[in-house]
Amino acid sequence: MHPEKKHHTFEPKIVAFVCTWCTYAGADLAGTSRMQYPSNVRLVKFPCTGRIDPVFILRAFQKGADGVLVSGCHPGDCHYMAGNFHARRRFAAFRALLDFVGVDLQRLQFSWVSAAEGGKWVEVVTELTERVRQMGPMREFKELAREEHWSAQIALPELKEAYNAIP
Amino acid sequence: MKDNEVKSSTAIDPAAYAAATTALRAEALRLLAAGAAAAVVGYRAGRRGSAQPFVATTPEQAAELIFTPACVNNLALYLTKAKKEVSRRGKLAIVAKGCDLRAIFGLIGESQFKREDVILLGVACAGVYRAGISGAPSLTEATLASKCKECTVHVPTGVDFLAGSLPEIPPMAAEEAAALARLEAMTRQERWAFWKEQFSRCVRCLACRQVCPFCFCEQCLCDRNRPQAVESTPRPAGNMSWHIVRAMHLAGRCAGCAECERVCPMDIPLNLLNRKMAQELKTLYGQEAGLEVQEKGPLTSYHEKDDESFIK
Repeated sequence: MHPEKKHHTFEPKIVAFVCTWCTYAGADLAGTSRMQYPSNVRLVKFPCTGRIDPVFILRAFQKGADGVLVSGCHPGDCHYMAGNFHARRRFAAFRALLDFVGVDLQRLQFSWVSAAEGGKWVEVVTELTERVRQMGPMREFKELAREEHWSAQIALPELKEAYNAIP
Repeated sequence: MKDNEVKSSTAIDPAAYAAATTALRAEALRLLAAGAAAAVVGYRAGRRGSAQPFVATTPEQAAELIFTPACVNNLALYLTKAKKEVSRRGKLAIVAKGCDLRAIFGLIGESQFKREDVILLGVACAGVYRAGISGAPSLTEATLASKCKECTVHVPTGVDFLAGSLPEIPPMAAEEAAALARLEAMTRQERWAFWKEQFSRCVRCLACRQVCPFCFCEQCLCDRNRPQAVESTPRPAGNMSWHIVRAMHLAGRCAGCAECERVCPMDIPLNLLNRKMAQELKTLYGQEAGLEVQEKGPLTSYHEKDDESFIK
């Protein structure tokens, strides 16, 4: 029997960018081993963490993700020898940039999960989901996406009013 | 508007710039007359004390070359793929300030051209005007570009010819470092509000991309629309991603010529992002862009023992 599901007021949307060789297989193992983990996570499979462009993370947040997980092979285990080493540096830099721009890094998790670590996958996903649930929805990017452009010259109240009156 | 008024603080001696001009003209004349260079990329006088990029191809034109505090442009731009018509002329000689030279070294490191393809005419440069200065006033703390106040490469090294010598530079307050420190001291929410306000002004003219020596991709990721990574209209959401992507693509490559910030019509402090990334990569991986020709930048190389404290 499944344990009874708890009902929450907020279900975060988590996007996980995973590498096909390790973490995807790890998640698969968690599934075939009948381990339970939050269904909030949506997996996107990539050939390698080295293929994951920081712009994907940005786009996920802009399109409504409340949290993003990036996961791949442990250092030294990369199917393409060095993809995850390059990714590690790129994400270290990207984290610093996001922090400087003012994005909450608590919503962005990086992890190494091998094909044998179904348990670790469950742990990582559960921890991120619960953390993001505590934090509530990611508002910054969504608010930004709804905003219109008012360059300094035309930011007049009557113009904004007229714009907002457009059905 | 900008403060064009000349303050009474000590000015940098203009004689050094005149000496550099003379030396540059002589060397350009020698190179062009001997046929050692097909063209010399430099500056000539523009209107109202300004200077404009200029490609001298005949020995007579060498006398038109100048070097003044108005020579703000980074000429490294003329060596990349974007300006093919210039580099097709043959072997080029190029006038380079210390900051421009860092971009040139960066481009050589990225195999955009070879060191032996260019003749580097370095100029000892005390600094250039900030954006919006016209009429050639004296060079003081009020008229000097903020990047020049913290310049570490006044005298370029590793060049084929060095014009002029460095005049005495009065001590000046480090504006950019102060702005960076102020931002870093803010809370996350305050930083977001700051950048949101700055980026929302962006009109997406893409002048920052056009003027950057490192934005030489034939097709920019931000111009692609299938799939579209970055919204192309100047709305706040797209502006935010454009500036994040721009800073990310320049991380570890940008040598800090601050041309992006100079050309920005909306005065967005773009160099703060570039400097932050350079500083971050230096602390993480101990590499600085453009001080010498490096085959691998910090983000194109790796070490097995790199920091991974942020990875679970």
